[in-house]
Amino acid sequence: MNALRDDHASAAVTTVVLLPLLLTVLAGVLQLGALRVAAARVRAAADLATLVAVNDQDDAELSRTGSLRLAGDASDVAREYFERELELSEALLAASSSEIAAMADIAAYPSAPSVDARTGARYQRPAVRLAADVPVRTPVFGALAFHPVTTIGVLAVSSPR
Amino acid sequence: MTLRAAAFALALLATGASPALAWDPYDEASGSPEPPVSAPPADPAPFIAPPPGLYYVTDTYVADVVTVSGPLTTYTTTTIHESTGSYARVLDEVGTGTLSTFDGAAFNGRATLTDGRAVAGTYYENYLLTNDGFVPVSVVFFQDDAELARQRANTPAPGASSAGPAPVAAPAATGPLPTGTCCGGKGPGEGAEREPRDVDPPQLPIRPGVSLAPASVPLTRIEVLRGRVVSIWLHAFAGDREVAVRAWSLASGDGGEAVSTSGGGATPFRTSWARLAPPGSAYELVFRLEVDTPETGHRLVDAHIAVSVRSPALQD
Repeated sequence: MNALRDDHASAAVTTVVLLPLLLTVLAGVLQLGALRVAAARVRAAADLATLVAVNDQDDAELSRTGSLRLAGDASDVAREYFERELELSEALLAASSSEIAAMADIAAYPSAPSVDARTGARYQRPAVRLAADVPVRTPVFGALAFHPVTTIGVLAVSSPR
Repeated sequence: MTLRAAAFALALLATGASPALAWDPYDEASGSPEPPVSAPPADPAPFIAPPPGLYYVTDTYVADVVTVSGPLTTYTTTTIHESTGSYARVLDEVGTGTLSTFDGAAFNGRATLTDGRAVAGTYYENYLLTNDGFVPVSVVFFQDDAELARQRANTPAPGASSAGPAPVAAPAATGPLPTGTCCGGKGPGEGAEREPRDVDPPQLPIRPGVSLAPASVPLTRIEVLRGRVVSIWLHAFAGDREVAVRAWSLASGDGGEAVSTSGGGATPFRTSWARLAPPGSAYELVFRLEVDTPETGHRLVDAHIAVSVRSPALQD
């Protein structure tokens, strides 16, 4: 009986001792999950922005040559839609969506083939490339002596094919 | 005896002698007249050389003839081989639809094709030789042309006969017939070859064209985005000019989600494609254009265009 009582005490002590650790791990897992969700949203925002930009065609050039060619404002279109999509996840971001979109490296390649100076990729069709670093709030990581802001790098390329 | 013979011979010489009519060309003082000069026989008529280009008529104008043989209508001039003592010269050789300064001057007029253009042929001017020389008396037009009848909706041309050639005399000339008519040795059949372009005016080549704007360069291949509505305009060109398209229809090919597969010339083909063509291929569309203008006649031509449907996609 004494031994059993001793076991009960040991379990309680163990629980008390390990509870912070368990909570820390749980918080870290939740934060990591939230970070992955934020990363997915940022990636989707970049993808959608480039798709919309590619969908914006130069109709005059199309009438003249019959070939698809990006509109002259394709980069602006991509930046605008990137900002709009980030606004939906602004609670997760460590900066405003407009600042993030303004800092994004967006390049349009109206004609093909072309080579991306940033990535070295060769595009066989008109393409829009968006590269951005998106700061996401990660307070749990901050509480755990990590960075309270995690930067997600995103790269999206779209072209009609 | 001898004396008598000598007297007889002397008498014979005296009676048979004739004046020698000798004269001294240097004896001006004597005033002897020059020997009479026999005047040359006068010409029955003074010879007057015809002016350059004028020739004697050996074939005389009879009538203008329009012959309809199936779709072919031929405009010719009949003549009769006879000489009326007149002369003629060529004034002008005109092509189909070509204006001439002599239009309206010919007593037999100048016919027109069914599209309103004047027929090809040659203007001649007839002359009579009078005491005053060559006097112009009339102008005649020798027509020499042909055309293929337009394939209008089962409406035969007036006077047309499907049974075979049917010469149709042109209306009689209302002007005075010339006393001497044209034109020997150089009828239209001899003086000028028939021009194939006049014989087959509808054979004017027609180039179809497809563009993405009402007034834009023709294209043979276009790219469109999936799901995007695009307007395809159909054009036709005769020579270097655009001619009106009366109607068009989609003859073959996947037209996508087209609003209509046929329409008038002022209506574009509006459609969009929700599906991409198989990899490496494109939608091959064939439009049948109906053209019916005075220059081209009624024609059907096919316009081809390849449509590559593309979709904005992400690259890995």
